[in-house]
Amino acid sequence: MAAARRAYDGMRIRRGRIAQSKHDHLLREYIKNNLNDLIQQKELIVDGRVKTQIATLDLPTLKYGEEVPVLAQGQGGQGGGKGAGKGGQDAGGEMQMLGGILGGDHHGRELRVELDFDEFVRLAQEVLIGQMELPAFHEPVGQGEVESEDIAELDDLDRIGLRADLNLEETMLHSLRRNARERGVLDFDVDIQQDAWYFVEDPSSFENHRSVEIYVLDISGSMRGEYLSLVRKTIFVLWYYLEQRYPTNLRKYVVFQDVAEEKSRDEFFSVESSGGTHISAGFEKAMELLEGVTEYDKFLFLFTDGETSSSDFDLAKRRYEEALERFDLVCYGHVNPGGRSVGGFSEHVQEAARRHPSATFANLTDLESVKGAMAEFLNFFKERAGRRPCRSIRR
Amino acid sequence: MQEYQKVIARLERLARDRGLSFDPVFFRLTDSDEIAEVASMGLPNRFVHWLWGGAYKELSIQQAKEVFSILELVLNTSPSYAFLRHTNTYLQNVLVIAHVYGHVDFFRNNHWYRKSNKNMLNEAELHARIIRAYEAKYGREKVEELLNQMLTVATSVNAFERNPAERHKRLIYYLEEKFWESLRRRLQEALGLTDAELDQLALTEDVMDRLPADAAELVLKTHLLRMIREEAEYFDIIQRTHIINEGWATFVEAELLREILSTREWATISVQLSNRPAPYTIGYTLFKHIRDARGFDEVLRVRRDYDDIRLVDAVLTEEMVQRLDLFVYDPKEKSKSYDLHQVKDMLIAQKLYKGEPHIEVEPGDGGELVLRHHEEDKKLDPKRIERFLRAVRGLWGPNVRLWANGKCYPQPPAA
Ligand SMILES: [Zn+2]
Repeated sequence: MAAARRAYDGMRIRRGRIAQSKHDHLLREYIKNNLNDLIQQKELIVDGRVKTQIATLDLPTLKYGEEVPVLAQGQGGQGGGKGAGKGGQDAGGEMQMLGGILGGDHHGRELRVELDFDEFVRLAQEVLIGQMELPAFHEPVGQGEVESEDIAELDDLDRIGLRADLNLEETMLHSLRRNARERGVLDFDVDIQQDAWYFVEDPSSFENHRSVEIYVLDISGSMRGEYLSLVRKTIFVLWYYLEQRYPTNLRKYVVFQDVAEEKSRDEFFSVESSGGTHISAGFEKAMELLEGVTEYDKFLFLFTDGETSSSDFDLAKRRYEEALERFDLVCYGHVNPGGRSVGGFSEHVQEAARRHPSATFANLTDLESVKGAMAEFLNFFKERAGRRPCRSIRR
Repeated sequence: MQEYQKVIARLERLARDRGLSFDPVFFRLTDSDEIAEVASMGLPNRFVHWLWGGAYKELSIQQAKEVFSILELVLNTSPSYAFLRHTNTYLQNVLVIAHVYGHVDFFRNNHWYRKSNKNMLNEAELHARIIRAYEAKYGREKVEELLNQMLTVATSVNAFERNPAERHKRLIYYLEEKFWESLRRRLQEALGLTDAELDQLALTEDVMDRLPADAAELVLKTHLLRMIREEAEYFDIIQRTHIINEGWATFVEAELLREILSTREWATISVQLSNRPAPYTIGYTLFKHIRDARGFDEVLRVRRDYDDIRLVDAVLTEEMVQRLDLFVYDPKEKSKSYDLHQVKDMLIAQKLYKGEPHIEVEPGDGGELVLRHHEEDKKLDPKRIERFLRAVRGLWGPNVRLWANGKCYPQPPAA
């Protein structure tokens, strides 16, 4: 039976999968076209998934507006059979709209676009990396012609130019300098022939590299769409690079206003704004979460509009200094979608970060500034690479 | 499959003892993936479309999460095919088998199903092949765009409607007829065929090759729309008998299982039966009521003669509405109504138009297509209207209007 099954499966045309890949192709297009709207949703993650308000991956059949009475069933009537929740939106209370369910088929059913958060992040990264013209990683090692017994020959690797060994920071900085020199623009227009640098060291020296990343978000200000959008885009792009670098990323999330609280990932991406601002509380909580963490590279990413209450100013300064001691890198993102001049506590950090090797400051006004922030962030690795026994060789 | 043969034989015998009858049933043991695939496409080997891909994705995620799935899948063909998930436990599959006997009996005996196309499995495969050929000939994008547009209007089918005047008001039939009229004229001009010959004519490759090149688009549209309409009608029957069919299958499942399960097993199962999605529990409740009030012969008669609308209309009572916790919810007032007539009307309206707004084609002159939404008090989602009209224009041409929400879309140019 088992053998027969396998033989049959081998021959079977997976129509479902083919249809899904068609669907997913359209879904990617949709995400790409609507990334800005999607990323700004206050509740980005619900039950581990990103839901979208805009129904589009369905056929454009006509539907009733939201205010039309519907047939519904309370939970007393039944247990809400699996997969039955497609009928409609939550009307509050324990009930289930029966519109689509009674139809029984997928025709005309509301197919709300909904996807795994991880999948959403991957798509968002793809879009953002493209928009910012940042260098993208390709498929990891083990693909195509570089997979051969000769792999031990490091010189060969160097010659082939294995993308996974690309020293990205060095490459980017080189590209930046070259573009500034040649075209007078600060642009990561990487020309692999001219700019690429590669790691040729023994990869085993990486294996213990793990990161603890603490994300701290100020939720006191008005959490307008653009504010959230900039924070999230920055984080997604950070993840893109951090995940390439570290096999293990231990992530912790903090939100603060007057007080700070640790949150789950899903909560962090679904927050309501409230309260006053004590930036010191954010730093304190972040440091508290470092307790017991030893063998990791420690990163703090803090996002705020910088308007800490005046009574907190001095304490916040002290905590910032302490954080610089405790973390390998403290990235301070001044979230400034209006593009106003930098003031308040952010102004202080902007100054301080210039003097401190483990500090970066970014004035996040738009996507372009996120790109600048990434350059600074990646610069840290370059400098640290200089401090470590890893050799970067110019091609 | 061997381990199930005995129980299959036993359940089949029990079913026949109760007066059920059916074509031979072939059970197939398979994986969640195939079940998700067939369930999302509706028919195996049907043409591949992104819309099924979304449903497939959802179903596979759901199937992967659930250790226990009784998603039963029976095809209305002769013989019937039914699928059992091999990761299910023996008992779970026994449930599915008993349930399947309800469905196959319904397929064979229900009045509405007798008119259904039992050969749809093969036809859908043929359609898929034709569509692939058209894609090769006219380009994949062009064909896919047309299919999107046609599937959009396909919700307007009604396989039960035999009155030509009524059918004519439904968009898909109207379009099909107009396409065919134009094509007929072209065929007459080009090939000099008589009306009788035209009526017999099949749209085969060699007929099309004899047509002038500029008729190609018309052939493509006419042929695609006909195939989409045929498939839509096949699914339409399933939709219009969803409550009665699932209710009947659940009822049969319960009747048969009670005979073969231990008291303890039966208790667990009966909880599970009342925990199913709404169409199952509503239909199941209605059948139990008929059995208790009027006996088993009446149950058999109802499953033979009724569709969802008639079942709900004839059997649903105030008390059942309460017990099923069914109500009409008004989101504006945030109020619930358990009024029998309101619930019934709503259920029936939903079945009549499958929960879709009731749109009719207005009689008009040839160039313009005028559509009207017939429940003025219910507002349509304006965001979807433009997209819908774009799809219809893709089929009809630029002159399409829709009367809805108290106005005309698009706004007519000021006089
Ligand atoms: Zn069923």
